[in-house]
Amino acid sequence: MDIQTQRKWNRAAKNFDLMASKGAEWRWAPQKRALFSRMEGGILFLALGTGLDIAAFPPGKTITAIDISPRMLALAQARVEAYPGTITTHMMDVHDMPFAEASFDQVFTSCTFCSVPDPVAGLRALRRVLKPGGELFMFEHTGSHWFPFNVMMHLMTFMSKKIGPAMNRDTVANVRAAGFEIVEVENIFLDVVKTIRAVRPC
Amino acid sequence: MESRWYFFVGDIFANLVVGVVAGVACWLLVGPAWNMWLAMIIAMALGMLVAGLLFIPFSILFGAMEVMVPTMLSGMLAGMVVGMWCAMSAVSLSGAVLVGGASGLVGLAIVWGFHLILRGRVELARGDR
Repeated sequence: MDIQTQRKWNRAAKNFDLMASKGAEWRWAPQKRALFSRMEGGILFLALGTGLDIAAFPPGKTITAIDISPRMLALAQARVEAYPGTITTHMMDVHDMPFAEASFDQVFTSCTFCSVPDPVAGLRALRRVLKPGGELFMFEHTGSHWFPFNVMMHLMTFMSKKIGPAMNRDTVANVRAAGFEIVEVENIFLDVVKTIRAVRPC
Repeated sequence: MESRWYFFVGDIFANLVVGVVAGVACWLLVGPAWNMWLAMIIAMALGMLVAGLLFIPFSILFGAMEVMVPTMLSGMLAGMVVGMWCAMSAVSLSGAVLVGGASGLVGLAIVWGFHLILRGRVELARGDR
């Protein structure tokens, strides 16, 4: 368990909903609903946080959700219970998931790989628990390939990394480096906010 | 460019405010005795700092990256323009407000322009192409 990362997100839990539950969630709700509408079969949701994404989940699914922060999961509990389906939560580090290999048909992430300390190792861990041919769906913010946004994202990361996410990750490259095959990348805002669909090769 | 009115107006408002506040902050700091290039660099940094602080309330209302990226650019731009102008001549407060606000709108327009080019599907594979 990465205690340092756990502490960081435990500290962030108290004000997380204030910062993220209104503007960002309102703005991203249509794209998140579209992404999560693809949920089928055995689903792993990585980094549930305070459960803000649950509002965009389609009803009636059976979802295993993990998060490294017990405080985040405690705050998520009311949303988990209100979901018209089944969500099972576990406090867990993506790097140390005890699930058997090839346990899930799909893995979903939402603004997660800006914060996983070793993103390629985290993605490799997700590949391990996905069935061959299983799909990875991500809603992520990343760095930019375009000036001046790339410089700005690097500058912002100096400040943001201390309290939360990195702003300059190349998550698409990380997904590839972890051994996934990219199926589709769709830019939602500039090339900074995007959805990524990838598969674990058979 | 955002098609929902709440966010469309919110984006304009946020960038206008960041531009004006960054412009006024630079007007307060930079005087005609300053070296223009030094003024530009310091004023850009000040503009980014202003944007970073104002991002917090605006992000709660209007979104995360969609607010952070344009307001940072607007803060930098307003700082650069007003800072250099103040280093070259005596500038009135109303001038700093107007130019700062205009810089904020230009910053937002630049981001919207890039967004129109970059948005949408960018990569396909596995027979979906």
